Amino acid sequence: MKRIFVSFLAFVLVFAFAGCAKRTVTAPDGQEAPKETAQKAAPVEQKAEEPVMAKAEPKKVETVPVKEVTEAKSSQFGTILFDFDKYTVREDAKPTLKAVADWMMKNKDAKIILGGHCDERGTNEYNLALGEKRAKSARDYIVSAGVTKKRLDTISYGEEKPLCKEQTEDCWQKNRRVQFVHQTSSGKAGK
Amino acid sequence: MKKGVRCQVSGVSKKLFTVFLLFTIHFSFLTCEAKIYIDITSPAIKKLPIAIQEFSGTEGKQIADIIREDLEFTGFFLSIDRAAYLEKSSETFNPKNWTVIGAEAVIKGTVRGEQNLTAIVSLYDTSEGREVLRKEYKGTKASIRYLGHTIAGDIYQHITGEKGIFRTKVAFVAEDEGKKGLYLMDWDGTAIKRLGIKGDFVLRPHWSQDGSRMVYSSERGGQWGIYLLDFTKMTEKKVFASRGLNITGNFSPDGDEIMFSSSQDETYGLYNLRISDSKLTRITSARWIEISPAVSPDGKLVAFVSDRGGTPQIYIMNRSGYDTRRVTFEGSYNTSPSWSPDNKKIVFVGRVSGKHQIFIISPDGSALNQITDKGNNEDPSFSPDGRFIIFSSDRNGGSGIYMMRANGESQKKITPPWLRAFGPRWSPN
Repeated sequence: MKRIFVSFLAFVLVFAFAGCAKRTVTAPDGQEAPKETAQKAAPVEQKAEEPVMAKAEPKKVETVPVKEVTEAKSSQFGTILFDFDKYTVREDAKPTLKAVADWMMKNKDAKIILGGHCDERGTNEYNLALGEKRAKSARDYIVSAGVTKKRLDTISYGEEKPLCKEQTEDCWQKNRRVQFVHQTSSGKAGK
Repeated sequence: MKKGVRCQVSGVSKKLFTVFLLFTIHFSFLTCEAKIYIDITSPAIKKLPIAIQEFSGTEGKQIADIIREDLEFTGFFLSIDRAAYLEKSSETFNPKNWTVIGAEAVIKGTVRGEQNLTAIVSLYDTSEGREVLRKEYKGTKASIRYLGHTIAGDIYQHITGEKGIFRTKVAFVAEDEGKKGLYLMDWDGTAIKRLGIKGDFVLRPHWSQDGSRMVYSSERGGQWGIYLLDFTKMTEKKVFASRGLNITGNFSPDGDEIMFSSSQDETYGLYNLRISDSKLTRITSARWIEISPAVSPDGKLVAFVSDRGGTPQIYIMNRSGYDTRRVTFEGSYNTSPSWSPDNKKIVFVGRVSGKHQIFIISPDGSALNQITDKGNNEDPSFSPDGRFIIFSSDRNGGSGIYMMRANGESQKKITPPWLRAFGPRWSPN
């Protein structure tokens, strides 16, 4: 810190030299800087050095507790699909959701993660919200069939994990989906 | 004149460095009776014809070229072709050599040294026939672009009276070894650097107004968290995490608060987090989607996205969640609001014929203006001087980072073709 202060003081002196006639500058410690009368603008020195952020890599002070999550593999239930920009459960999705609910009623320890996805025709943040809303709509339907909420977790992938990469309505429809992934209590993938 | 005075620029002294800049500017103006040559606040601007001569000495041409590119990009300068110059670099400035070719301002310079460079640069006013600015710069060959940008910034400031953006940086998100990572680059797309911060997802970062910190959202190990990166200590800290989706907006002007959206308790809500004492305040609660809060630079209003009316639209409210009013009415999809530095405009993304375009609107809903029309364009935000907009676009294939003037002119890609990049944010200084 002292070195920096000294450097700063030195700079102030430089400014004093470079400044206008009869102008005085008081240095931070109260010392009066020398005066100079100048006819013409003397060059002011400036160091073109990059800010510190361009140099070092940051240290991470806090590690993040990692909750183990199963890989999103297609499960026995397949996927349910959604309309463009919508997160309401469609009629054609209800049989699948009922099948998931029935299976969960029989397999009392099973937990499921519902992953919500979008097509690419949205902005990143809004698509993440939309994906989450789709997953939660599907979850709420399963809960209404009698499964407790804590056995159902949701996650949104937005537009980041498309099943299909062409720019066609067929493809976009495949991507607007919720997928089901089994999760056992240890966090490892089931079956 | 003392020469060779050095300042060790370390993390702590960055603020002093800023102070130093203020001092140099102060004194340059005093000495030279600053005069504004171009009134860039005027709606009709006549470009200033300027001659930028190759500097003599090491990398003199490169430095002069950087200055020329910088000044030309602003749209306020007309750079005169060097082939027309009558005066050699080594010759003393003579205004007659320049007025005949139409130059109103001339930049000349010399560079000494091989690795450690010392440049002495002069700006001349041809009508008055005198030197109006002279400064000496020290830099290294390795960071020659930064040296050029520094010189261009001083010249721009002298001529326009505004600080300019030539020394700013851009933070953005790009692919990083199969994950998403944060990157920094100079505003012109050079000096790209990975910050080493990665996640399965990382969303666009937001700078604090003093440029010392960034806040961003990242999904790591199945959980969405909000992280704070402090450049002065080069440390990252998690400031919020929970179940559900947590996506941060920007800092309050004083840098002590951030606004973010969270679905932690089943409903969506916009929250305010005071960083110093971790005080969390819930501002809104919604059964629908409410995300992307953007605090205005004066700290009074928040722009955000809500689909309360059936489609995503931009709304504004005051900081405590009252006086909510809808801003966008055109189209069925309007997201990603960001404020201009003077609080008078909001830039956002709107959908037109299935594609995302960038628009500007006044907070009262008037003066809607579409400023892009190619490909899909996302994540727009203003430069710190409000004269440019940075955004991502897929117009040439994979997503890259582009910038343009705030009126939509001079759109250009600044990231290289091999980097899939998005979510850019301009540093405030």
